[in-house]
Amino acid sequence: MRIIDLLQKGSIVPTAQVNSKAEAIDLLVDLHEQAGNLADKRAYKEGILAREEEGTTAVGEGIAIPHAKSEAVKKAGLAAITVPEGIDYQAPDGKPSCILFMIAAPMDGDLHLEVLSRLMTLLMDMELRAELLKAQTAEEFLSALDARERERYSEEGAQREETAVSEKESTEAREGGYRILAVTACPTGIAHTYMAAEALEKKAGEMGYTLKAETNGSGGAKNVLTPEEIQAADGIIVAADKNVDMARFDGKRVYKTNVSAGINHPEELIEKIIKGEAPIFHREGDEPAEAETVGRESAGRQIYRHLMNGVSYMLPFVIGGGIMIALAFLIDTIAGAPRDSDFGAYTAAAAFFKTIGGIAFGFMMPVLAGYIARSIADRPGLAVGFVGGSIATLGCTFANVAGDPAAVSGFLGALIAGFAGGYIVLLLKKLFSFLPSSLESMLPVLILPLFGIILMGAFMCFINPAVGAINTAITNGLNSMGSTSQILLGCILAGMMAIDMGGPFNKAAYVFGTAAIASGGFNVMAAVMIGGMVPPIAIALATTFFKHKFTAEERKAGLVNYIMGLCFITEGAIPFAASDPLRVIPSCVAGSAVAGGISMAMGCTLRAPHGGIFVFPVVGSVGGYLLALVIGSLVGMILLAILKKTKTAA
Amino acid sequence: MVSKKLKVTNSEGFHMRPATNFANAMAKYSSDIKIKFNNMEVNAKSVMNLIAACIKFGADIEIVCDGADEEAALQEAAGMIESGFGEE
Repeated sequence: MRIIDLLQKGSIVPTAQVNSKAEAIDLLVDLHEQAGNLADKRAYKEGILAREEEGTTAVGEGIAIPHAKSEAVKKAGLAAITVPEGIDYQAPDGKPSCILFMIAAPMDGDLHLEVLSRLMTLLMDMELRAELLKAQTAEEFLSALDARERERYSEEGAQREETAVSEKESTEAREGGYRILAVTACPTGIAHTYMAAEALEKKAGEMGYTLKAETNGSGGAKNVLTPEEIQAADGIIVAADKNVDMARFDGKRVYKTNVSAGINHPEELIEKIIKGEAPIFHREGDEPAEAETVGRESAGRQIYRHLMNGVSYMLPFVIGGGIMIALAFLIDTIAGAPRDSDFGAYTAAAAFFKTIGGIAFGFMMPVLAGYIARSIADRPGLAVGFVGGSIATLGCTFANVAGDPAAVSGFLGALIAGFAGGYIVLLLKKLFSFLPSSLESMLPVLILPLFGIILMGAFMCFINPAVGAINTAITNGLNSMGSTSQILLGCILAGMMAIDMGGPFNKAAYVFGTAAIASGGFNVMAAVMIGGMVPPIAIALATTFFKHKFTAEERKAGLVNYIMGLCFITEGAIPFAASDPLRVIPSCVAGSAVAGGISMAMGCTLRAPHGGIFVFPVVGSVGGYLLALVIGSLVGMILLAILKKTKTAA
Repeated sequence: MVSKKLKVTNSEGFHMRPATNFANAMAKYSSDIKIKFNNMEVNAKSVMNLIAACIKFGADIEIVCDGADEEAALQEAAGMIESGFGEE
């Protein structure tokens, strides 16, 4: 809180015409009243006078600070007057008082002491006292005070932070800014994003630095870094598995890593910034923002990151559309509609859900391809990728541009379109780099969209027949798979969900599941989701029934895991897995695999790629699904109970 | 030189009244009296300095007295703080 935030221009009277302490107090109380700080003027004035009875509020050196902390104060504020000739305020040093600040403090909070402290610190400066006394207008008074406060607290704030962070300042808006900034993001944006932000903030606090972390979660960016904060910081940690807006960090030290490093090695990352080991980030023209870091990033990781960027944008369409379509079938089932080709759109309500859901679902491939391309080539990639994704769904070929059902390349085609789109745009940028700078602005508005889309179309028409055939083969393969191999597939996918709980294995299985939805393999998605639900539930059960295997803190976290598991947030299991990976992970994998296998064997289907317990009503053979969940969780729990060492006496 | 470490026990910390009383009480000693708080050394005889230091409830401080009457000064200073300046 700054002095000038509390002191309005209208509450300052320089060179006031007052002749006594009583007159000065009257004037100051009036100023508070005019500023709307008081709920009850008389009660407030009584508080001020009562305080003066106990002893003068003059502190010497010509300064007096009458104050009252009172119910009569509506909002905290300051009023100030100067009396150049001075009035007798019974100062301890016997001198007349000529600068008077009156504080109105509401009953709650520490504000009182902090305002006092800050005022005193500023007023100890003799030059400022002279300037305030000289001021003829409220503006002059305020600007002198403001200038000194800025000067003093921008540097002192920073110094004080380094020596002692016990003060609550680190969480308040600080004039000194943050020393370290961070951005965290993961593809799903539910758990990892926030865990990394918390780990970094906590560790920075322990190490005595100030750190602000922006979370780019599924609900959009929160706690967003401001340009001033970026300017003032030593450097920025970017712990992200998808792309974040990097352009704003131009010229700063930026250390880029994955989100799990933020969770597991916060100390290392913070030191990189503090010791100045992070490279300085430069944005070059319209180049993709991450070009700078390519050198340190393996090709595999790059592909993973682009892919996840696309998937994270695609998911909302699949979730919304998928659940709506599933509801349509549920409605028709309840209505007893005939199971013909019209099933799912037989009743009016079902038709509504199915059609709208279908429209949302239809965006799945274009959005996936578009955002993969955007991840690679920045904004110009988006249109090219979008079109490519659409071509993949339509199955356009040179022989049949209108679309050949056998050449619909589906999810696989959209993936290829996304990457192709991104690199086509990068290639075009290179090819046209000979353009004089006067024509450069033509690039994004004409050349990239036109040639990008032409090339994309040609490329997709060329590959569609081949990729379409592969896509059809996979779909047929999934559908015609014998029950044994289906169960095996369910076991493997569900197990993969539990291996790294949100890492690459988990995501690979998950993307496979969503891709299977697109080609009608709803049983695959069912196995995948249950594989992700089992680990947190198994752990939660274990903390409930085998308390002695866990610390008190873990037991508390265990309760949350029931909810996490039921909501299909596998990440809830991570803290447990991280603290004891060799015992926890195999238990979870086994539990998940069992559940996935049972789900497949029971023929459970799921048309929505997310939602946990909330989409159970639209699960096909939900009884079998629940059974699978229970058995899988129990298997996981029993294994945990056997494998884990006793932590506390029961 | 003598010193003593203690905790501020009154809920409002060193606000104006305790600071004024404390500074006035200390002014009668000839010794140098300082409060070490948050890596700062604060002149305990100055109301302004005491308030500016923003010493809150629960703060760990150290009183340092140096001079002819240091023992007596320390005793009174510690007494005032430990009794919470007669406040809550």
